[in-house]
Amino acid sequence: MAEQALELTDLRYGYPGGPLVIEVASYGLGAGEQALMVGSSGSGKSTLLQLIAGLLDADAGAVFVGGTDLGSLRGASRDRCRGRSVGMVFQTLNLLVGFSAVENVLAALMFGQKPAAEHRARAEGLLGRLGVERIDARVESLSVGQQQRVAVARALACGPALVLADEPTASLDPENAAVAVELLKEVCQEEGASLLMVSHDPAMRERFGRVDELASINRASEPAGIGGQVQA
Amino acid sequence: MRGLSTTLTVLSVGIAVALMLILLGSREAGRRAFERGSGNMHMLVSGDSSPLTGILNNVYYANAPRSAFVLSRFDGFWRQQRLPVAWRVPSALGDSYRGLRVLATEPNFFTDFEPNPGEPWEISEGRFLDPEGADPFEVVLGSEAARLTGLGIGDRIFLTHGPGSGKLEAAPALTPDSIGDQTDQADHDDDYDPTAPVEPGGVGHVHDDFVYTVVGIARPTASMHDRVLFSTLTASWISHGTDARRAQMGPDAPVMTEEELVEQQKVVTGVLVRIATREGRDASPAIQMAFNRFRGNPQWTVAQPASEISRLLSIIGSVEGVLLAMAVVVFLSSGLGILLALYNSMEQRRRQVAVLRVLGASRGRVFRLVLIESAVIGLLGSLLGLVVAVGLDGAVTGVFRERYGLYLAIDVVGSGAALVCVGAVVLAIAAGMLPAAVAYRSSVARGLRPLG
Repeated sequence: MAEQALELTDLRYGYPGGPLVIEVASYGLGAGEQALMVGSSGSGKSTLLQLIAGLLDADAGAVFVGGTDLGSLRGASRDRCRGRSVGMVFQTLNLLVGFSAVENVLAALMFGQKPAAEHRARAEGLLGRLGVERIDARVESLSVGQQQRVAVARALACGPALVLADEPTASLDPENAAVAVELLKEVCQEEGASLLMVSHDPAMRERFGRVDELASINRASEPAGIGGQVQA
Repeated sequence: MRGLSTTLTVLSVGIAVALMLILLGSREAGRRAFERGSGNMHMLVSGDSSPLTGILNNVYYANAPRSAFVLSRFDGFWRQQRLPVAWRVPSALGDSYRGLRVLATEPNFFTDFEPNPGEPWEISEGRFLDPEGADPFEVVLGSEAARLTGLGIGDRIFLTHGPGSGKLEAAPALTPDSIGDQTDQADHDDDYDPTAPVEPGGVGHVHDDFVYTVVGIARPTASMHDRVLFSTLTASWISHGTDARRAQMGPDAPVMTEEELVEQQKVVTGVLVRIATREGRDASPAIQMAFNRFRGNPQWTVAQPASEISRLLSIIGSVEGVLLAMAVVVFLSSGLGILLALYNSMEQRRRQVAVLRVLGASRGRVFRLVLIESAVIGLLGSLLGLVVAVGLDGAVTGVFRERYGLYLAIDVVGSGAALVCVGAVVLAIAAGMLPAAVAYRSSVARGLRPLG
């Protein structure tokens, strides 16, 4: 069996005093594999991604990313591991406003393992491959499409084993959404990173060879008020 | 908005640092400025009502001395008392030239008296007053007086009766060539009594019978003496004796000659005295003994410059303490400003902090980043404060020099500066602790929550 980029085992998470929102017995993603996880709004998709990235502490279970049990690490060790093993792309992109495209990518490289001397070339190379034209322009002055590319470049900057994409196309029209997803898949493949994308957009299903229903792997009942991605 | 907020915060730190530097620098500068000028005399005997007034008037040219006394009585006194006077320099203030004060004195003012201990007078051009000179109507210019008036060696001028304001007046130079009609219109003071107190700031008539020749320009001494013109006592006595004669006999009475002067007309407003001590010693029982003897004579007051300056500075010191306290308050409020600016920005930067955490920044690193930002604000503020302080130093020094003839050498970049700048950075770091703690504790999930 190929090395797993992601492996979840008996993962449980609930808000203090509240019901469980995530209860996953087993879930895995192979190295270089790309999967779409679908689920309705508020079903716990973002919470699951934050558990995988080690941004939330699971109540029980294990999260292995690239063979490392992220959940067993604490504090700065976990942050370092996340920085070099996990890339994230958000619906709202979450670029660092006031900084240029290349600076946004350099910010990610600051927390990775690549030698500092290679940072600039790596950032410029990635942005060039992704078609970002004005790499020294402040990100807020770029079009949404260009910003999306900067966000993808930032997620891949440190050569992560796993890229987590949280509704990255939610704010795009269908045509641009298709272009963005194809670009994301293509670059992840080139970089050898696995991709787990969550979306509630049914149109995304046809673009992934593997589609997982969150409802089918999450045994927690009536998830609500999830991780901040709750939508009315 | 955040850029503006940061700029304003840096500005407030800069102002606080500048204030602290100026105040700390000026404390010593004030003392040094007052110490310059009183020179190597041990005491001043004057006709003023109090020792401090005597020092201010006769050494710092603050105002015209209020009364004079006969020099021969003074000389008779110390000789009769057998006081070990090493030298004495009599002086009289009462005339002016274009508002600048004229000190009538004896030639040993330039040889015995050192304006700053160990720094004797030096001539820049020409010569000092001639002890053997046949013509007493000569003038030596202080360096600043020469610069302000534009006078040079050989120039001939008239002096004005009255002390002048101490500041250069815009009136044209009074010279024998230009005086012309002015002398006709000059307000001759028929009631002038040379021994009477001179009204401070009062402007009298021009001594247009007596032409003074500029014979020398002194090198700068960085003291109030630089703004003064120096003439001979003999010339002063002759011109004022002539005034007195004309007051009695009418305006056509002839000018007085040196031979005609009587002892009662040979008055002075102050005498600088040095007591004979062992070489290089400024402390001796003889000084205190002489001081007590002079003080026992009601004809004059006697003052020791060092103690009067200390008294003056202790008066100023309480004001200085208030100013220093205010500067500390400004300093602390600038720290509070940093705290508020960063604390408020933490709410706005919740997302940035969350993104940095996602990218791999540890809580500790985020904490340090905020502290570094805070320290940078403190450092920039310090540098700005240093630049502002140096600029203000130049301006303040210039104003004091121009207006009061006081040479303030404010040492804003001395050892205190490093302490203030380091203090500002430490204060900034301390102020950044709370915002850094907020960033440390901020929830990544909450930070990544979409806006709206």
